[in-house]
Amino acid sequence: MERIPILRMGQFLLVTIQVDMHDRLALQLQDDLTEKISECSSRGVLIDISTLEIVDSFIGRMLANIAAMARVLDAETVVVGMQPAVAITLVELGMSLSGVRTALNVETGMELLYELRGDFHSEMGG
Amino acid sequence: MESLLQAVVQTNSRVAIIDITGVPTVDTLVAQHLLKTITAARLMGADCIISGVRPQIAQTIVHLGIDLAGVITKAKLSDAFALALQRSGQVVTKVNGGNGAGKRTLLRREE
Repeated sequence: MERIPILRMGQFLLVTIQVDMHDRLALQLQDDLTEKISECSSRGVLIDISTLEIVDSFIGRMLANIAAMARVLDAETVVVGMQPAVAITLVELGMSLSGVRTALNVETGMELLYELRGDFHSEMGG
Repeated sequence: MESLLQAVVQTNSRVAIIDITGVPTVDTLVAQHLLKTITAARLMGADCIISGVRPQIAQTIVHLGIDLAGVITKAKLSDAFALALQRSGQVVTKVNGGNGAGKRTLLRREE
């Protein structure tokens, strides 16, 4: 069964969605990601959806759910690289994903994660 | 809406300023569209600042019951620009001297 790879990068998890998302794949990702967060005790999740061209309300809700679940597991979620058309679609669907943090690209997304986890740096420094 | 979002991607912008000084009236449709654009920009990772809201427009917005609670609004375009610079960690300083070449400004990135 096909899965979306989840890469571990230190304290963070990287998910790059490079195939068309269908509902089962989305649910699988939700399961895998929550498992992985607790397994690696990750502090942040970065989801790159720059290649995702079609997003429906289910996928939108899944993104919001993942962010909410990650927060319960003490991890911040940043969604990066959303395309204009996708952003417009989500807004028209009435989904503002208010609980999800966003960034323009992976670079700014990682910056944001480090910023959010500033406490981690001070712990390491001190 | 599309053109703003495309520009955000092309220029890698983190802040977008929407100046509506030249807009004489705002109805529900316009306000709704503005809110949609701001939300879409946020989804892409860019913050929007609205500037140049006229007193009448402010009254209209409140009377229409439009919620701009999550939106940053500034009185003037210059205020919005100052906030955008502050957010990106940049300051505008005046360069002294310059033998009467008038006021010059310099953009400098803070370390």
